[in-house]
This record gives sequence, structure tokens and C-alpha cells, in this order.
Amino acid sequence: MSKPTKSLSPAATLWLALTLAALAIGFYQAMTAPTEATMGNLYRVFFYHFPHAVESFVWPYLNLLGSLAYLYYRNRNPERALAADAFALASAEITVLYATLGLATGMLWGRAAWGIWWTWDARLTTFLLLWLLYVSYLLLRRLSGAQNTALLSAVLGIFAAIDVPICFMSIRWWRTQHPAPVFGGGADSGIDPSMVPAVLWNVFAWLAWGIFVLGFRYALERRRQHARAFAALRFLDQTLTDEPLKHAEAR
Amino acid sequence: MPWHIPPMQTLSQRHTVYAYCAVWLLQFGYALHLLRQWRKS
Repeated sequence: MSKPTKSLSPAATLWLALTLAALAIGFYQAMTAPTEATMGNLYRVFFYHFPHAVESFVWPYLNLLGSLAYLYYRNRNPERALAADAFALASAEITVLYATLGLATGMLWGRAAWGIWWTWDARLTTFLLLWLLYVSYLLLRRLSGAQNTALLSAVLGIFAAIDVPICFMSIRWWRTQHPAPVFGGGADSGIDPSMVPAVLWNVFAWLAWGIFVLGFRYALERRRQHARAFAALRFLDQTLTDEPLKHAEAR
Repeated sequence: MPWHIPPMQTLSQRHTVYAYCAVWLLQFGYALHLLRQWRKS
């Protein structure tokens, strides 16, 4: 068995370097975009809040795909089922990471702009529910001692994904505290064209970062799965080779 | 602090600073955690 590599592959290193450069450009764009008329510099939270909030709707669908693939391959191809399970776990962690930051940046912005940290508005409540669902997914993975943890979490992943479209549409269906959609929300939506580069750079940079971290987490989980399988095989091998000796000694 | 440089000047709103710091801390902290786990595995 070859020794696992400890360093990143050239492709991953290049991806990381480009992502860090994009993040730096995104930060500079966010800081140098024109000041907003009513909120002043406070609106710059938007350049980090928006990518994290909107990308929190992407990762759950990857978790859904991983969960469905696990259920499909569970009795057909155990190796593919394990890979799908690792992918589902990695995407659930990235969902929690992005949703936590979407909530945190939103609360900081809300405190400064509205004077409140929180309100039980439709978007905020469904977003909190999304966060709670994926935190419970990770808790199930961590705390469950059952043999069918992967199966239970795959089913939970499918149910959790139902909240995503509800959360996404909440600011279109119910007009409460959270602002209406900035993009694709009708004739009155949109931002000043001078602010668009800052939004796009940050959306793509944080998406690229998320893909990198997702790949990293997936690779780590696959390595752990292989280590567990290797340990189980060694245990079996030892048990089988020791057994005849023990019987011989007993006789 | 060199507040006359545009990026520094626009960070004068403290909630904006907290939000940006929260993002960097959690994102890069998580990546470092993964890196440590990777080296240990």
C-alpha cells in the first residue's frame, strides 16, 4: 500500500492560488466601491453577506446529490456508496460554514441598520431552520453509534434540502423585514452598476473557495474511510491468522 | 492607521469590520483545521 501524500496536488495548489488572488481582488473591490447614499460604509457588509447567504443555497443541493447517490449505490456498489457518503458529509459541513457566516454577517448588518440583532421574519426564520437542519445532520454523524449512520443521514439530507427553495423564495412570497431580492426581484431590484464588479468578484471568489474547501474535506473523509477499512482488514487478518494457533494451544 | 488609503477609510464602520473579521476567522480557521487533520491522517 503506497504512503498517502501529505501535500496538495499541483491542480489544487493552482486553484488555491487563483482563489486567494480572487479573494484579495474581491476585498479591494469591496473597499473601493462607491459609498452608498443612505447606509454609508455599512452597506459594504453586503459584499460578504450576499455571497455567503446565496451560496448557502448551493451546498445543500450537493449534499442532496451525495445523499441520493449513497442510497442508489448502497446495495449496488459499496465503494461508490462510500464516496457519495463522504461527498454528502463534506457538503453538509460547507453548508454549515457558509450559513453560519450568512447569519453572522446578516445579524451584524441588521444590528447596525435596523437596530436589532434578530427578528422572526420569514427569510431569517427559514434560514435559521436551514442552519439548524445541517447542524443536526452533522450532530447525527458525530454522535450516532449506529451501523446505519450513513443511511439515516442520507434520509435527513433529503428532507433538509426541502427547506432550501422555501428559504430562497421566502423574500418573494412574504414581504416582511428582510429586503426584497437585490437580483432578479423585478423592475425595482438591482444595484448601482459601479458596485457590480465588487459583488461579482466576491461571489465567484467565495464560490471558488467553497469548492476548494469542499474538495479538501472530501479528500480528508475518503482518506479516513480508507484508514478505517485498512484497520478493519488488518484486524480480520490478525484474527484469522491467530485463531488456529489459539485452538492448537487449547488442545 | 492609514485612514486616508481608500480600503482603510471605508473600514471606519465597526460592524463592517466585525463582519469581515468573522468571515476571515471562520473561513481560514476552518481551512487550517482541515490542514491539521490532513497532516495527522
